[in-house]
Amino acid sequence: MNAAPEPFLLLEPETAPRLEAVPALLPTAEPVRWLRSPTLAGAAILGIGIPVLWALWLVSALFDRWGTLGWAGLAILVCGIGLICVGIGRELRGLSALRRVDQLRVEFASGEAGRVQRAARRWLQGLPQHSEILPALAAADTPEAVLALLRSGPSQALQDATEVLGRAAALQSVAIVAATPLPAMDVLTVGWCGVRLIRQVAALHGMRPGVMGTLSLLQKTALAAATVAATEIAVNAATHAMVSHPLLRHLAGDVAGAGVAARRMIVLARAAAVACSPILRG
Amino acid sequence: MVATILSAGRLATDMLQLRSTIRIGITGLARAGKTALLTSLAANLLAVSAGRPALPAVSDRLRGRRLRVSIAPAAASNIPRFDVASHVAALAADPPRWPARTTAVSMLALDVDVPREGLLAPLGPQRRRLEFLDYPGEWLLDLPLLGQSFADWSEMTLRRLETLNSSEIARPFLGFVRGLPLGVQADEALTLTGHRLYAELLRRMRDEAGLAFLQPGRFLMPPPGAPPPWTEFFPLPGRSPLADLMQVRFNAYADAVRRDLMSPMFGDLDGLVVLADLLSALHQGPASFADARSALAAAADALRWDRSWTDWLAAFARLKLPPQAIRRVAFAATKADHIAARQRGNLIALMRRLTHVPDGSAKSAVFAIASVRCTEDVVETLAGRPVSAVRGRIIGEPRPARYYPGEVPDGVPDDLFWQHRFLALPDFEPMRLPEAGRGGIPQLGLDALIAFLLTEILG
Repeated sequence: MNAAPEPFLLLEPETAPRLEAVPALLPTAEPVRWLRSPTLAGAAILGIGIPVLWALWLVSALFDRWGTLGWAGLAILVCGIGLICVGIGRELRGLSALRRVDQLRVEFASGEAGRVQRAARRWLQGLPQHSEILPALAAADTPEAVLALLRSGPSQALQDATEVLGRAAALQSVAIVAATPLPAMDVLTVGWCGVRLIRQVAALHGMRPGVMGTLSLLQKTALAAATVAATEIAVNAATHAMVSHPLLRHLAGDVAGAGVAARRMIVLARAAAVACSPILRG
Repeated sequence: MVATILSAGRLATDMLQLRSTIRIGITGLARAGKTALLTSLAANLLAVSAGRPALPAVSDRLRGRRLRVSIAPAAASNIPRFDVASHVAALAADPPRWPARTTAVSMLALDVDVPREGLLAPLGPQRRRLEFLDYPGEWLLDLPLLGQSFADWSEMTLRRLETLNSSEIARPFLGFVRGLPLGVQADEALTLTGHRLYAELLRRMRDEAGLAFLQPGRFLMPPPGAPPPWTEFFPLPGRSPLADLMQVRFNAYADAVRRDLMSPMFGDLDGLVVLADLLSALHQGPASFADARSALAAAADALRWDRSWTDWLAAFARLKLPPQAIRRVAFAATKADHIAARQRGNLIALMRRLTHVPDGSAKSAVFAIASVRCTEDVVETLAGRPVSAVRGRIIGEPRPARYYPGEVPDGVPDDLFWQHRFLALPDFEPMRLPEAGRGGIPQLGLDALIAFLLTEILG
């Protein structure tokens, strides 16, 4: 049997820097890439390519028929495509504004004073009405102080303004439900009110979402609804339980009356504010 | 029907959104590493919250979900906050500093949000507050005092002092106590002399004999501020006016322990972490090892492990829920980075042999951890034989050291083991903290311990 080795404590001859930990690698999920789907790629090519070819063929045919007609057709085509491009640009800008919210959240959670400070300035660029806190922001030297400043300043003001929007939308929805002659129309009218309210809240937070941006915002709002629900218990747990997920309720086509619709608007405004704000409330 | 189910689900969600508290007790003798554990736990959970891979075992359990952790606001609590930032700053400094000895109680409270998985995801995150208490390790052994009378404690203490191996240390105090006349009056001068001799005895037992089972703990580590008169007593058997005075002061001391330590934390625990520096005990010898073992057992026995019918009755009388029983216990051998990887299995086996859960109802697990990692594993060739060792820098020494303390036994050490040397643990400096602590604190095994403690919320 081998004897255990003698204990030892040996100093190495050379000095060495302080030890560094080997960084751990987290397993990351393979991101889903829609463009890798042949079906979607084919549909996109056909959906865009065929109308473009058809338009070019039409303009070419118009030129063959009569030069003036051809120029008029080309002008219409360029004008239409230009407007579509402007629309796409706005959509992309709206979507990037939404994505910036997620980026700002990551920056605010980094705990690094410099990153948090820069992120705060970037957020306030989109909210010029709150630029008066910039001097105080410059003096705040810790991430906690910067976040506290944002919470008590712009975030609180946005929250208050959101409440006002929610209450106004609640009153409108009560009037609309009361005035709608057919109960089936409630779904459409209250749904329209809800979408408009979400866009208003987004504009309050410095965003101008287009159609795609609004759809994305609807999705984010639906996800945020569960978080917002936590703050609603004190008001009325039973009523809240019926209304805290308005989008699902719309899809189900179930509108339970003017009071419920009003309550729904207030909750919806809060959920939309949570989706639009990079400052997470506790 | 669907609407009703959704409504009920939403109502249940609202109920679940309330932030419930999970209290986790940290028990460990002095220098066992409680402050380092709490600092590392907080810093690493905050780093995970910021997206850093600080706790791989916790990240595995999250399966892609994003944990949100923040330090809970102190509100109007009368317990001081555990100062995570200053402890992390000290470890991140260059040269680094270990946290100073804890001299008072402080509370670490973390708000943790864990998103639910699968069909439950729309219900929103689980919201919990984790509470931990940091306190001087010497005070842990005050907990067993709560279940003892002054007469029993005096008898037990004096019997133990008489059987000490190093009886020379105990002679002055024992001579004083045995020399007191029957029916001695309650004289303040006698009280002060007895207390001074006993406190000095405790200090020498700790510093010279390496013993740990030393009561009362505040005699060794007094709280900040002027000591109140009830802290001046000593074990005294028999009936006399002086013994009556000692008993009154002992009871006042026990009340303070109940108020300052037991009630705020140890009275209502959900989980428990038992820390033990077994490697240092192996170095100090068989008497010290046995003493540390009995000290930990006495502290564990003083905790609430199950609920009795009297607890239910008392709770109903106060219109409150009965106190929690401990559900999870993690036994952790600390400073595991001072031995090589192949010896850590032995350290876990040794810890397992030394510990037990009193009633078996709580789930338990054993770990070998280093809350703040200081070394890396290396293989040293000694007389042509490869020996697994560790490599790190000792504080104040720029040259790295290669260290092998001796073989760690995989069970309770026998006489043969004590015939061999087991080196003292050097004071290694912590590894460099990534991003000055914002990226977490390098650790060993702590991630598995946290994942075990938080199993119920991590899923």
